[in-house]
Amino acid sequence: MNDKEKGLEPAREQRDEAAQEEARLIRQAQDGNQRAFEALVRLHERLVFGIIGSFLRRRQDVEDLAQEVFLKAYLAIGRFRPGAPFAPWLHRIAVNTSYDHLRGIRRRPEIGIADLAESEADFLDRYVEKGYLSGGGEADDRLAARDLAERILATLRPKDRLAITLREVNGFEIAEIARSLGCSRAAAKVRLFRARRAMQAALRRLIRQDEQEKGMGDRAARGGRDDLS
Amino acid sequence: MTCRDTENLLELERKGEIPPGEQQALTRHLAACRRCGETAKVARLSSVLLGTLRQEIVPETSFYARLRERLAAAGSDQPDSTLLHAWSFARRLVPALALGVLVMAGVTISLGGLSTPRQLQATQSRQMDAFSLEEVNLPGAAELPSQDQMLAFVLMQREGSDVQGPRLRE
Repeated sequence: MNDKEKGLEPAREQRDEAAQEEARLIRQAQDGNQRAFEALVRLHERLVFGIIGSFLRRRQDVEDLAQEVFLKAYLAIGRFRPGAPFAPWLHRIAVNTSYDHLRGIRRRPEIGIADLAESEADFLDRYVEKGYLSGGGEADDRLAARDLAERILATLRPKDRLAITLREVNGFEIAEIARSLGCSRAAAKVRLFRARRAMQAALRRLIRQDEQEKGMGDRAARGGRDDLS
Repeated sequence: MTCRDTENLLELERKGEIPPGEQQALTRHLAACRRCGETAKVARLSSVLLGTLRQEIVPETSFYARLRERLAAAGSDQPDSTLLHAWSFARRLVPALALGVLVMAGVTISLGGLSTPRQLQATQSRQMDAFSLEEVNLPGAAELPSQDQMLAFVLMQREGSDVQGPRLRE
């Protein structure tokens, strides 16, 4: 055994122990032990909250939906096949619950620059002018950017929105997205491609409108100066 | 560098995997090509916007208290895990049983268990006769005649022949 393998050995042992502990908790939860289920929730809360948090902003809303996810998981844990990976099973419940939530929201039609809030329009204007954002990202800018992102994503089909968010925000692999959406890898790739294209088309439209407005403003200002002179 | 290369490099840039030399070439191309410049602007803005959706939320302590209450309420309604296992086993068994029935039906048909059209026709006509006899309720048609009926019939035949006999002789 070389040094590298020696270094990996404790990590592998730790992973095995964690898997055994998880399997034990699952068995106990299947027998109706709520404490064991709560321990499972604590193990996986971060990713579940991450998934839901990419669709909802307010903490209270995120917590409410997370409650739904864990309750569904608790009611279904009796049907969970022992030995199967638990995290993807729980993620799928989280994704399905988020999908149900998104389906309940009415899809917005195409958006134009006139539909944006002032802060969003200012943010876009600054971006178009500079061509990039300052590394730190001021809090107001970040808020306006999130508003704009949500506004654009609300125009997408719920499954397309789910695909792009899982990939770009939560870092899911294509196979994981396919499993979560219950479709093939090819279908997941198509959804992702379509969502990216729709998002970029919406942004391109907004940027062009912004530039046109700016051009009109400049012309009007020049016209005003000419009249004065 | 071509415009097609730009797309690939922008994708690498998005993943944070672009080599430094390529980054400089990309910057030069974007400054020179208006179309690619616009594409890059949109792609980068898209990444920035999606990045803002990432948020780390740690549940508050009240979250677990509320979850415990809901689990306790749900726990009383939850069916027995043994029953759930039995139900999931039964659910798997139903398609297998249906398949078995289909296979049996297929085997029966292939071995000629089903009647031919002519046989079917004959069966149907027999059923029709039986139905009509019962329907009109003819005396003695549905059952065999009794002994008295047979005797009466023979006597009637004899009387008839006696009456006819002398006439024929005449």
